[in-house]
Amino acid sequence: MLEARLVQGSMLRKVVDAVKDLVSDANIDVSSSGFSLQAMDTSHVSLIAMHLRADAFEHFRCDRPMSMGMSLANLAKVLKCAGSDDIVTLKANDDGDTVTFMFESPKEDRVSDFELKLMDIDSEHLGIPDTDYCATVTMPAGEYARICKDLSSIGDTVVISATKDGVKFTTSGDVGTANVTVRQNTTADKKEDQTIIDLKEPVALTFALRYLTSFAKATPLATHVTLSMTRELPVMVEYAIQDMGHLRFYLAPKIEDEDMEGEDEAP
Amino acid sequence: MGPGAKQRDISSFFSVKPKPEGGAAGAQPKDAAKEAKRAAAAPEARKDTEAGGGDGRRLKRLKRAGADAAPAPADAAGQEEGLEDAMEEEGAPRGGEQQQQQQGSEQQQSKDAQSKGEQQQQAGAEGQQQQQQQQKEGEGTAAEEAPQQPPPAPSPGKVSRSEASQAFGKLFAKAKAGAPAGGKAKAAASPAGGAKGKAGGGGKAAGAPSPKAAEQQQPSPKQQRQEGEEERKEAEGEEGEKKGAAAAAPPAAASAKAARASASAAADAVGSGSGSDDEVEEEVEEEGEESSGPGEDEEGAGGASGSASAGAGAAAKKAAAKKATKKAPKGSKVASAVDGVGSGAIEAAARYATVDVDKLVTWPAGAPVPYGHLTATFEAIAGTTKRLEIIAALTGCFRAILARSPSDLLPAVYLCSNRVGPPHEGLELGVGDAILIRALAENTGRKEAALKKEYEEAGDLGAVAAASRSAQRLLFKPKPLTLAAVFAGFREIATAAGAKSQERKRGLIGKLLVSSQGEEPGYIIRSLQGKLRIGLAEQSLLAALAHAASLHKEGAGGGTLALAERLAAAEAAVKQVYSECPSFDRLVPALVDHPLGELEGRVTFTPGVPVKPMLAKATNGVAEVLEKFSGCEFTCEYKYDGERCQIHVQQGGKVVALYSRNAEDQTPKFPDVVSRLPGWLAEGVDSVVIDGEVVAYDPATKTIKPFQILSTRARKDVELSDIKVSVAVFAFDCLYLNGRSLLHAPLSERRAALYGAVKAKEGEVGFATAKTSRDVEELAAFLNEAVAASTEGLIVKTMHDVYQPSRRSNHWLKLKKDYLDGCGDTFDVVPIGAYYGKGKRSGVYGAYLLAVYDPDSEGYQTISKLGTGFSEEQLGALAEALRPHALAGPRPYYQFGEGQAPDVWLDPVAVWEVKAADLSVSPVHQAARGLVEPGKGISIRFPRLLRVREDKSPEDATTAAQVADMYRAQAVVAAQRGPAGDGDDD
Repeated sequence: MLEARLVQGSMLRKVVDAVKDLVSDANIDVSSSGFSLQAMDTSHVSLIAMHLRADAFEHFRCDRPMSMGMSLANLAKVLKCAGSDDIVTLKANDDGDTVTFMFESPKEDRVSDFELKLMDIDSEHLGIPDTDYCATVTMPAGEYARICKDLSSIGDTVVISATKDGVKFTTSGDVGTANVTVRQNTTADKKEDQTIIDLKEPVALTFALRYLTSFAKATPLATHVTLSMTRELPVMVEYAIQDMGHLRFYLAPKIEDEDMEGEDEAP
Repeated sequence: MGPGAKQRDISSFFSVKPKPEGGAAGAQPKDAAKEAKRAAAAPEARKDTEAGGGDGRRLKRLKRAGADAAPAPADAAGQEEGLEDAMEEEGAPRGGEQQQQQQGSEQQQSKDAQSKGEQQQQAGAEGQQQQQQQQKEGEGTAAEEAPQQPPPAPSPGKVSRSEASQAFGKLFAKAKAGAPAGGKAKAAASPAGGAKGKAGGGGKAAGAPSPKAAEQQQPSPKQQRQEGEEERKEAEGEEGEKKGAAAAAPPAAASAKAARASASAAADAVGSGSGSDDEVEEEVEEEGEESSGPGEDEEGAGGASGSASAGAGAAAKKAAAKKATKKAPKGSKVASAVDGVGSGAIEAAARYATVDVDKLVTWPAGAPVPYGHLTATFEAIAGTTKRLEIIAALTGCFRAILARSPSDLLPAVYLCSNRVGPPHEGLELGVGDAILIRALAENTGRKEAALKKEYEEAGDLGAVAAASRSAQRLLFKPKPLTLAAVFAGFREIATAAGAKSQERKRGLIGKLLVSSQGEEPGYIIRSLQGKLRIGLAEQSLLAALAHAASLHKEGAGGGTLALAERLAAAEAAVKQVYSECPSFDRLVPALVDHPLGELEGRVTFTPGVPVKPMLAKATNGVAEVLEKFSGCEFTCEYKYDGERCQIHVQQGGKVVALYSRNAEDQTPKFPDVVSRLPGWLAEGVDSVVIDGEVVAYDPATKTIKPFQILSTRARKDVELSDIKVSVAVFAFDCLYLNGRSLLHAPLSERRAALYGAVKAKEGEVGFATAKTSRDVEELAAFLNEAVAASTEGLIVKTMHDVYQPSRRSNHWLKLKKDYLDGCGDTFDVVPIGAYYGKGKRSGVYGAYLLAVYDPDSEGYQTISKLGTGFSEEQLGALAEALRPHALAGPRPYYQFGEGQAPDVWLDPVAVWEVKAADLSVSPVHQAARGLVEPGKGISIRFPRLLRVREDKSPEDATTAAQVADMYRAQAVVAAQRGPAGDGDDD
């Protein structure tokens, strides 16, 4: 038996909207610790890891860990029917093949419920090791989204290099090249505008820009985004969902190699 | 990995965790030993570990990691479920890449050699070991060897290491899994290699023996590593070595693909794919030439120079050649003793008798067959042009499937025939290049423009795909593809329709590509393009299917001669059955589930599954007809100028389907025929299949209209009310009546059945006008009548012969009006090149280079240039139609003479019917090259375009063999007429 009541119901929709273009079907795992979702895109290049803690819910009951496979597109359709201030309650039976979403308006004058069919999804569950990252950059989420958007108009591969001078995003394409450098800024008036760079070792990685751009769909979830990088390992792009949990994206780097890329990187 | 070393390997960064239900992530250390064994038992898992190459540093880490890493259980299927909690700092090498290198250019390999050191070293070690082992152990098979080695009791430390390596192999693989893993992995691979070297069977290596093999190696990982190191050095120095290493790399790297990996190694080392390798090698042994085992192996490695794949091919050929020479004496001796069974068949039988099917199998019994099993066979097939070898390779492949996972035989057969369903279902792959390139770009992280450029240079998108899988690393290596999954994916792609279907197709293609390894992406792409181009003809496929079924059901005993005869009988039966019921959906399950003897009873011609129509041979004139049919009763019918049509009627006319000569469903094109049909049936007719010709017919004047009018009819979704061109059906044969197949009945009986079942109706349906006579003048007059009645001429048929689907039989001859003046027949040719027009024709193509189809080589052979017979509109229309199919260079399967290159090469898409004055031997044109005169082809003179054959696909064009026949027929006629027309006069 699962029952979970979330006052900030719109958060769910934002999470699903952020990931549904990357992954079409996914298992949402529920246990006494909360909700989690882990899924890879079909090309196995990026991974989504989302966790919503049980204590983020006003009421949370999960008798037995369960895995609910669903089409994220369909889930998004259902969640779209919730008002932005609605309280969302999820209910599912242990052996059921559906999950029920109940939306209650704050004034309690409207209650709707939707039953979504579950599906069997065969997915591997991956262990994500904890890593000491060489560079961790925390920047305003909006700034990250803007950089991705701007660079996408120029090229499709980005080099992110973190040095003591700052974090530089570089791309090139037929049109030309583009560089955006972000520097540490801990003095901004508003906390939301601050950028913090924690650098242990300089690092530079190359990524397919379209994935990073897709991650930026999570911008509404948090004020800040954290990019954590270590040489030769996937970058972690984390949106901390306030008081609730996190949405993390991992993206495998591209191979930087002259003889492979040379032709690709036509100036 | 050292910061300096550039790591080019695609890695998997994350490990699989047991499902949450599985309890805590991470197995308990005490389980480690068990797990390790289990893991070792799973060939794939082992391969995965191999994938983790490590350098010294990694080695240390790995050891550390090994000590505390939670071991991962590997399930029986060999996928890792293990997990680690540690994150690694490196990626694991991906098999795909190594293979890619292998297939890629040498340069690339050499570059890679450094960056990739470990793998190669590892690979090198393998190679070395392989040879060593081989030499030491002589002829044992891997399976036999393995047990001889006492499995060392793994200490926990070792075990966990091995596990870690396993888990990491995939994952981060290299990271810590590093050296020990590498060492071990190597070790594991090496027996496989050794086995291969010796026995040649990748399958063997990958099969049962793994557990011991893996353990066996465990004790000396370091040593091996050292060897590896040395090997690597050598490799860097010497090309040959390097290649050897590269060649060996794939097996090491491939994760679950034991089959493919081993087979490709086998291909290098031994010479051909899984199935045939065994056969080849074992034969060699059988004949007391053990020494040639290692020898060949070395040669294989050496032969792998050039691009690795080319090397494989070369080695394959070498081995094949050897085999051939060895066998020849034996074969020929025996051959004389038996009638009806060729020496080749006897050799094949002898070979089959020595094959141990267990050694062909590379996956656990009952598990889904890995796609790699099939692609390895494809590689072997592509490496030879000998039909018998192709059949043998495929037979081995099918036997393995039958022995372990018979339910996968059907998808395997479909994948071999490159279809996703029976022809009449009309499902075709043929995905456009643009989508494929796009999908490739998305999956490799490469740019479309670069891929396109390479495609233009290489001419084979499959090769580009196989070489392109490296710019983007993966987080986690997907499970290896299974045969069934690939087939299901293809089917889904073929059926995708409607909104967003292109995107969906791209997604599905991407999904297949991302899981593919080694040569798999190449074959996936080629399959999707609709052409495998490995020289696997349908007849060879049927032969292999028959052989495999027979050997599986009835064993290979009973003596070579008896076996050869039995196989020949099975082959004939299967081919016959398939010609009457061309649906693998029905044939394959019947073969799998029932004795061969019951096949003909179980799979029969039924309405709803069209057969390929029986065709007629060309003749030169009435005299030839009389000569050929002297002494038997025959009849002549008008040859109507329309579209061949097979009408299947069930339930008294309630269910009607029309099929074209290619078994395409034409029902939507002729709703008028469908609606009228019930009125044509005689009383008591429930089901009937009519063979006939649909022609355009003008009901007002009651005359037949030319074919060109018919071809203006819309092809799809025709509404009854919109029909402008009315048609009539002229029936001339009845293949099925009221539940009984008439294919085996003589024409006299079939004709009677037809006349009894159908009521002629003016302007709707009629019978082909027929006449029976033996008189030359009467026949000539009848031919003239036929021509006057707007038909193409006559078809002359013997009365007592049965209907032979898809055959161009001697029992039916065509006598066309064209024969009266000059050349025997028209030719259906494919334009493969064009020349820019000059003067009045500037702006369009002024002339075309024409080719016929050669099914044996799956290629197109030039036959003539064409510059006449066009109207101006036609020139414009043809240029318009063909311009989108212009190519940057000739397709690799075009065969053309020197200096023949046209201004523009064209994709083979159109079929044109041309008429020619005569045929002549040509030193330049390649049609039927070697069939008539060694080293020379045949050309047609003064070709003139008659019409565009939209009902034919390029593979239905006139074939090389037909051209040769026509040339010979012409030569005979010429000789009769006198020495002047020698045929060589040109």
